[in-house]
Amino acid sequence: MHIDWFVFLAQIFNFLLLMYLLKRFLYGRIIKAMDDREAKIAARFAEAERLKEEASEAAELYEKRNMLLGQKKEQMLNEATLAADAKRKELMEKVRTEVDAVKARWQDMLAREHDAFFYDLRQRAAKQLYATARKALADLADVELEERIVDEFIRRIKALDEEKSIQIRKAISGGGNKVVIQSAFGISESRQAQIEEALKKQITNGFTMRYMQQPDIVSGIELRVNGHKIAWSLNEYLETLVESLTETLQKEAHAA
Amino acid sequence: MEIVALNQISPDQVIIWSWNFIVINATILYTWLVMAILVVGSWFITRNLSSATNVSRWQHFLEVIISIIRGEISEMTKKGADKYIPLVGTLFLFICVSNVLVVVPGFIAPTSSMTTTAALATCVFIAVPFYGISRNGLFHYVKEYFQPNFIFFPFHVMGELSRTLALTVRLFGNIMSHEKVVGILLAVTPFLFPVVMQILGLLIGVIQAYIFAILSMVYIASALSAEDEGHHTETKKEGVSA
Repeated sequence: MHIDWFVFLAQIFNFLLLMYLLKRFLYGRIIKAMDDREAKIAARFAEAERLKEEASEAAELYEKRNMLLGQKKEQMLNEATLAADAKRKELMEKVRTEVDAVKARWQDMLAREHDAFFYDLRQRAAKQLYATARKALADLADVELEERIVDEFIRRIKALDEEKSIQIRKAISGGGNKVVIQSAFGISESRQAQIEEALKKQITNGFTMRYMQQPDIVSGIELRVNGHKIAWSLNEYLETLVESLTETLQKEAHAA
Repeated sequence: MEIVALNQISPDQVIIWSWNFIVINATILYTWLVMAILVVGSWFITRNLSSATNVSRWQHFLEVIISIIRGEISEMTKKGADKYIPLVGTLFLFICVSNVLVVVPGFIAPTSSMTTTAALATCVFIAVPFYGISRNGLFHYVKEYFQPNFIFFPFHVMGELSRTLALTVRLFGNIMSHEKVVGILLAVTPFLFPVVMQILGLLIGVIQAYIFAILSMVYIASALSAEDEGHHTETKKEGVSA
């Protein structure tokens, strides 16, 4: 086979030229483009991986925070509930105390009003009764009511039993041998002598007597010695009357 | 009846212009044509390349080809593939395009001229010691010729020469004979069969381009003579030659 050496050398030159041109226009550019792309993709993957790690870290952090917040919330809620309960109890207790105090005050006031009312009623009833009885006694006889009262008083002194007499005697000697006789009206000298005589006879000698006029003792007379007394007055009857009256009024109030 | 003119047994014989010893024949002309196609095509496609993810189809096409060549070279050299791409890639592309364009009526493959194949084989013959010496130095390269001992030196030289000759003749023989076979068949059975042969010719053309490029790379890789690479490339060489 014939080989033309000029053509042979020309072909070598052609090939080397082609190699150079392709290296310049093809391989260099294409390889650079591919390498650049690879680097870009690698960088993007690295970036994505980094972002993913960051995201997962952030997610973990937020989850933790959420959990802590939840716990804190629950704790605060519990504390608030407990505080509210305590406050409620305290307020209830306070209100109850206040209500009790108001109630007690009211009951006290009521009781006082009740007492005042009955006291007043008793006073009026007694006065009325005294006036009525006095008028009635005056109308019925010439005997003065005071005389009758003194008579009754003397009768009571005389009717004292032995035990009571001893107690009064001791009381007189313990109270400095002083006897005070209180009455709603004035007692005449002769009646005073009768009373003194009856006392000396029944109880003891050696005491001084003093008479005091006391309008509170409604139509009555009484002897007071160191905590002991001998008395007669309309008060006793009036008290009985008042008691029965009170009882009746309360019954009616309950019925209402 | 003259099927193929005797002066057309090789495109070298088709003289287009000559002056003294300067001859422009069909081989050089078609070589220039192939070169023009390759260079202009490459320039056209690569004039605005993109390194982003959305690239043109032609860029993809070229990237696939370059990636395959790069991969093949990497398998043999393990590293520094880009250094050998211009030689091996150009061998493959030039031979492949030359062989494939045979289907175009009136085109005669430059590779069907033994002058061309000899020129290419000579380039490989020179490239082997060039890369070997540039990688390992002159001493190491020459030392390889005396392995396992100096008696083997002539055999190594003969091996170098014979494989260059083999490269030349293998490519030339395949392409030239194919063209002639198709020409003869056209005269004998004008219908269908020549088409099948043309298709077969395309396959053979691509395979020959691959073989030429791969063998070149194998020779270069063996010249690099690293201990581990040596074993690998020897096995590869045997496989390809078979």
